[in-house]
Amino acid sequence: MFEKLVDIIGNYVEAEPETIQPESRFMEDLGFTSFDFMSMLGELEDEFEVEIDQQEAANIRTVQEAVDYLEKLSVKAAE
Amino acid sequence: MKIYHTIHEILTEAAKQFGDADAIRYKIGPNEIEKKSYRQLLADSERFSLVLRSLGEEGSHIAVTGPTSYPWLVSYFGTVNGGSVAVPLDVSLPAEEMCELIDRADVTVFVFDETRKDVAELAKERCPKLKYLISIQSEAKTDEIYSFSQLLREQEGNAEMSPEPEALCTIMFTSGTTGKSKGVMLTHRNLAENATCLDMRIPSRTVLLSVLPIHHAYCLSMDILKALSLGSVICINDSLLRVAKNMKLFQPDMILMVPLMIETLAKKLESTTWLPPAVIKSKVFGKNLHTICSGGAYLNPDYLDFFARYGITILQGYGMTECSPVISTNVSWNSKKGSVGKLLPNCEAKVVDEELYVRGSSVMTGYYKMPEETAETLIDGWLKTGDLGYVDEDGFVFLTGRKKNLIITKNGENVSPEEIENKIGEHRLVQEILIREHEGVIEAEIFPDYEYAKKKRVSDMEKTLQEIIDAYNKEAPLYKRVIRLVVRETEFEKTTSKKIKRF
Repeated sequence: MFEKLVDIIGNYVEAEPETIQPESRFMEDLGFTSFDFMSMLGELEDEFEVEIDQQEAANIRTVQEAVDYLEKLSVKAAE
Repeated sequence: MKIYHTIHEILTEAAKQFGDADAIRYKIGPNEIEKKSYRQLLADSERFSLVLRSLGEEGSHIAVTGPTSYPWLVSYFGTVNGGSVAVPLDVSLPAEEMCELIDRADVTVFVFDETRKDVAELAKERCPKLKYLISIQSEAKTDEIYSFSQLLREQEGNAEMSPEPEALCTIMFTSGTTGKSKGVMLTHRNLAENATCLDMRIPSRTVLLSVLPIHHAYCLSMDILKALSLGSVICINDSLLRVAKNMKLFQPDMILMVPLMIETLAKKLESTTWLPPAVIKSKVFGKNLHTICSGGAYLNPDYLDFFARYGITILQGYGMTECSPVISTNVSWNSKKGSVGKLLPNCEAKVVDEELYVRGSSVMTGYYKMPEETAETLIDGWLKTGDLGYVDEDGFVFLTGRKKNLIITKNGENVSPEEIENKIGEHRLVQEILIREHEGVIEAEIFPDYEYAKKKRVSDMEKTLQEIIDAYNKEAPLYKRVIRLVVRETEFEKTTSKKIKRF
């Protein structure tokens, strides 16, 4: 999931894949704007077939937090 | 194109002319669309006027909060057309802040989206003038909370109203330079003439996707009022996450956006360069999109050329809530790159000490219960915009900078640096703080209290200050978050009045 996310991040910011770490922060370190972030979440919804809650997602700051959140949603969707 | 002087005229005339044609389209499932006609919108909003009358709240101040939705629009039109005053509130505000605004605006009825039930609960304690709470989603009345749909079902008939053009109809909050938001008072004439005085040659039945927050004047005036006056089809975007998906679903002809969104879309277009432009355009925006109106903040004019390659015209405009909000706009047949367009026909401008002043029928009547701030901003009917600029010989407005100390973010939000400085500055470790915009994001420069840090054995200053900022960010709406931190080793340079020098 982390690798897939790194791929998608590349659609929004010009970050070399090897510089993207689990602890990288979307806005502070990777240069995402708030709307880049929202749009990426929309893309992740399709990619991972989950439904993302905008308010919950607003608390995600790092790549790892996004992975954790998506994994939680995927488990829920599978149940 | 006809100029209307009240919002009531806009809606009733549109209902007469476009009757059963779709006014609003919105999603009720991933790919399922619900439609409401002009006639229905008018009938439902009249029912809401009757609801307010039955509650004895005709003429009162009615706050409404939530993402754009059909009930939101019904509440708004029912309120203003029934002679009451609507107070649209930003759904993303912290509960305490929203309660403060409800109280300051003398609101007696609060219509809310269920996602903000927390505000309704808090408002019971904090807002003594508040009498009725109405939930947009609940199906039946529970405890002290009324159901919007139940209230509407109980009413039938015509509200028989015709509000005067000069009647106050909307109070919209905007950030103040002192950190305290100000309630901009707008009349029917202010808003209705702003929406209808310029013929933009938009054909009726144009499909537009409304993606901006509805509590913003730009969205309310252009996406909603102007669109209805022209007989457009307004498609509601259900979430900022799904703009791309909704463009494909609703296939709009036009969209109003803020620069932040335009920049993201440009990246999307750029990331698929191997396809022909027409194919990329169709993939990203759907087949029909031909125009994006941009407002709310500065847009780099290079984007105009970039989007033109894909057959999309960007029309840059300019305005502020205090002017209902549009002051000037480019139009497809008359535009100048780098300019924010020609003044609207109901607006004139002059320049005083490099600052742009505007006057006309869309200028607010003042800030609600803030006579001093009103007197500082309205001078003999002229509105001081706080923007530096000029009008060229052809009547095009050019902006060159800002006079007021207010950060205008790329999504068109106005952020008061003082408000953030006061909040973060409450922490004992923060001796001095300066908030500013840097490269498109909000940056905090902090001079910490090194003595205190020593006493508390703070070993990693940057980490500790970042934790303070993280704690602030957690509570703040997305657009007010501090993205960058700079730690100072020396005090800030001060003015003679001991204030930090900002520039």
